[in-house]
Amino acid sequence: MTVDNLINWFPFGTEWPVLTFVTAVIICALPVFLFIAVYALVAIYAELKISSFMQDKVGPMGQGVGLHAWKFGILQPVADALKLILKEDIIPDLADKKLFVMAPFIVFVGAFISFAALPFGQNIIIADMNIGIFYILAVGSLSVIGIILAGWSSNNKWSLYGGMRSAAQIISYEIPAGLSIISIVMLTGTLSMQGIIEFQSGTIWGVLPNWIIFNNPFSFIAFFIFFISGVAECNRTPFDIPEAESELVAGAFTEYSGMRYAFFFLSEYAEMFVISAIAVTAFLGGWNSPISGFMNSSGWGVFWFMLKSLSLIFLMIWFRWTLPRLRVDQLMSICWKVFLPFSLVNIFGVGIWSLLVG
Amino acid sequence: MGVIHGDLMTLNIGPQHPSTHGVLRLKVKTDGEIISEVEPIIGYLHRCFEKHCENVTYDQVIPYTDRCDYIASMNNNFGYAVTIEALMEIKVPERVEYIRIIVAELNRIASHLLALGTYGLDVGAFTPFLYMFRDRERILDLFETLCGARLLYNYIWVGGLSHDLPRDFVESVFSFLDYFEPKIEEYNELLTYNKIFIERTADIGVLPPEVAISFGVTGPNLRGSGVKWDIRKDDPYSIYDKFDYDIPIGAGEMGTVGDCWDRYYVRMVEMKESAKIIRQALKGLPAGDVHQALPKKIRPPKGSIYKRTESPRGDLAYYIVSDGSPIPYRLKMRSPAFTALSVLGEISQGWMMSDVIAILGSLDIVLGEIDR
Amino acid sequence: MYKYFNNIFVAISSILKGMSITWRHMINIRKGNVTLQYPEERWPRPERDIGFDLDSYNVIRSRLHVDIDDCIGCLKCERVCPVQCIKIVTTKAETKGEDLPDIGHTGITSNGTKKALIVSRFDIDMSECCYCNLCVYPCPEECIYMTGGPNSHKHPIDYEFSQYDRNDLIYKFAKDVDDEKISKYVSKKIK
Repeated sequence: MTVDNLINWFPFGTEWPVLTFVTAVIICALPVFLFIAVYALVAIYAELKISSFMQDKVGPMGQGVGLHAWKFGILQPVADALKLILKEDIIPDLADKKLFVMAPFIVFVGAFISFAALPFGQNIIIADMNIGIFYILAVGSLSVIGIILAGWSSNNKWSLYGGMRSAAQIISYEIPAGLSIISIVMLTGTLSMQGIIEFQSGTIWGVLPNWIIFNNPFSFIAFFIFFISGVAECNRTPFDIPEAESELVAGAFTEYSGMRYAFFFLSEYAEMFVISAIAVTAFLGGWNSPISGFMNSSGWGVFWFMLKSLSLIFLMIWFRWTLPRLRVDQLMSICWKVFLPFSLVNIFGVGIWSLLVG
Repeated sequence: MGVIHGDLMTLNIGPQHPSTHGVLRLKVKTDGEIISEVEPIIGYLHRCFEKHCENVTYDQVIPYTDRCDYIASMNNNFGYAVTIEALMEIKVPERVEYIRIIVAELNRIASHLLALGTYGLDVGAFTPFLYMFRDRERILDLFETLCGARLLYNYIWVGGLSHDLPRDFVESVFSFLDYFEPKIEEYNELLTYNKIFIERTADIGVLPPEVAISFGVTGPNLRGSGVKWDIRKDDPYSIYDKFDYDIPIGAGEMGTVGDCWDRYYVRMVEMKESAKIIRQALKGLPAGDVHQALPKKIRPPKGSIYKRTESPRGDLAYYIVSDGSPIPYRLKMRSPAFTALSVLGEISQGWMMSDVIAILGSLDIVLGEIDR
Repeated sequence: MYKYFNNIFVAISSILKGMSITWRHMINIRKGNVTLQYPEERWPRPERDIGFDLDSYNVIRSRLHVDIDDCIGCLKCERVCPVQCIKIVTTKAETKGEDLPDIGHTGITSNGTKKALIVSRFDIDMSECCYCNLCVYPCPEECIYMTGGPNSHKHPIDYEFSQYDRNDLIYKFAKDVDDEKISKYVSKKIK
């Protein structure tokens, strides 16, 4: 089910482009938005609960009066979202108003349009482009512009720090992430998301699933480099230096409130999903079942894909509630002195490997 | 290649900032992320402690001392009581001395737990903070059974205690120590030896011993710089000379002697040593009446006294001038956190923005005591 | 080179160690949970069984309460308060130890002391109180105390007394009678 199919399938086809466009938006973009919204609520709830359990407390239990008064505080994220929507939308007097208003949406767009190329199931992908993974990496870095704009336009020294740190961090970490994806592309010989997943069906020696992470030792390392760089791109602890609530007091987002802040929040969680989804697609077999031939129909494919992505998100949450925060220069040195050499060696190693073994 | 310098940017950290441990304002001149000058501005929590003391009687001062270093009230009470007792030459019963040491050391553990937990928070680790607060809570529960208050105790009085230990207190302290000592290992694994934490703290904010001494820094901050100085050992008050314990000093295990990690680790080891003292004191606790030596009216003879004690933050001293009336003529408190803060500007130059927060946290200041 | 790889190894192993600790806490949450669901469960107040005569040692810090019928107006609590939050006004009664039902004055305390003073004002500003318990110790009639604990037979514990208006925290314990009525019973000498 891709947009190309849709356009061919519609009776009005290309004759009424506007109508087709509107229909495509309703059929593709709206479900994605709803998906992000629902997923973000679930993820926020999960984060609240998991963090609480790790810290020997119970988290939201919803024993108050009002909307969130439900079992185990399940409606807590809904209440939080409502609170953010209803809050006063403050724009500082000395802020650059146009940029200030625009920034959250740019950040969100960066995360949102990545969903266009995520393969949720065998046939469930909005656009199976032949440059799928390249497209996601490209649009994913759009969000850094939004964060810089937010930091700059707030006209606040703390926000400026946050914006600058974020720019340096996200751009640096694109490189190891991109390099480790290149090693995958070398292995699979395709940039298409579905192509990469199809490469990973079957088993190795009849036991292990034929996922790229198990394909060779270099791709095993590449997975970790990609995933940790991904965590850094999402600005999650231990790489949350642009927000750094104990130093910069939320950094680039200091001056934001209400709905605009909610958008930053939403895009952080959406970006977490995108990174996990790419990692699942490129390394963990996408919608392939872990046991070959077991629950491997197209319907179960969605289940496996979500299960794998959500467990990577759990890993990110787990990181956050265990580790301290790095300093900005240490962050850079990890990127340039550890991840970059390793991923270069990886590319070389994958090349040799596919020459000798593949 | 030369270094390009732009203009310096002035940045105000605080008074409302999560990592200033109270209402402290740091006026910081920054060159990008690099800090070139830090000027602490204090006084946002000034409550005229010393002037108040000149207007209330000696026993009414004790609730005020509680509120100076509100993290370690017992130690403040202890220091004040010891000072007045030395001035009035009161000999307190042995049971009182033992109980005082038990509660003071318990409060030292509670205070260090708070210091280490919030330090973890400063460098971004949230979970150890809550673990430490969970254990600190158990000490506060013990204090609540002891005197009814959880934070501001007014328990140690001049010449004695406000009342005796409750029944089963000794057993519950023992069970707390049995629970607590293994937890220190868990903190070490979770935070102390975490590589990211070591990167953030080792070699950062090195406080050389000469600088520490010339600034008058005391307590764990001085010991972190490798100077073995503890009033409990070097100028013993009460009956601290009866117990067997060590004074941990910074050894530069992860970096240089006197870095943030050393200051942090000295506190961690000190909690173990305090637990040792408490165990000894509980075992040797004699029977007796705690009210025996309470003076009917506190009216010290004419004269003055300066007596120091070891609070969790260092050398806490009271200077009291008495004119023979029931009201102190002058009361001066030497607060260890004040000197610790004064060294901040010296040791945080040239470090980065995040390091200043880490250095400030490692000095473990309490603004209530600095501003008084 | 060794240092470089050793650093990476130490970093990974220490991170895994830390993560195993948080994992253990997460799966043992039922055993390790320390949260108290506040409005549903209350903090268990420690028992005040301190092993000797309870009434003479009030070791609880909560709301101050005065049994005004027992108060003899000796002003000891007012004098000892370090923050001066207790305000007492007394006048000398004409007769000693006599009930004056007109103004709600009891002549004899529950300890059997004959009252010589009429307490016309006994205000405690609870917003100023520093809960030091100093006022409780000197009271000869044990009529000022913190509620709960050993005094729970006199007054139940009450530690949730937040108010919307700061003035509501000024507790007026004296009987609400106008001065004219009191002046009838005031000793002639003072008049």
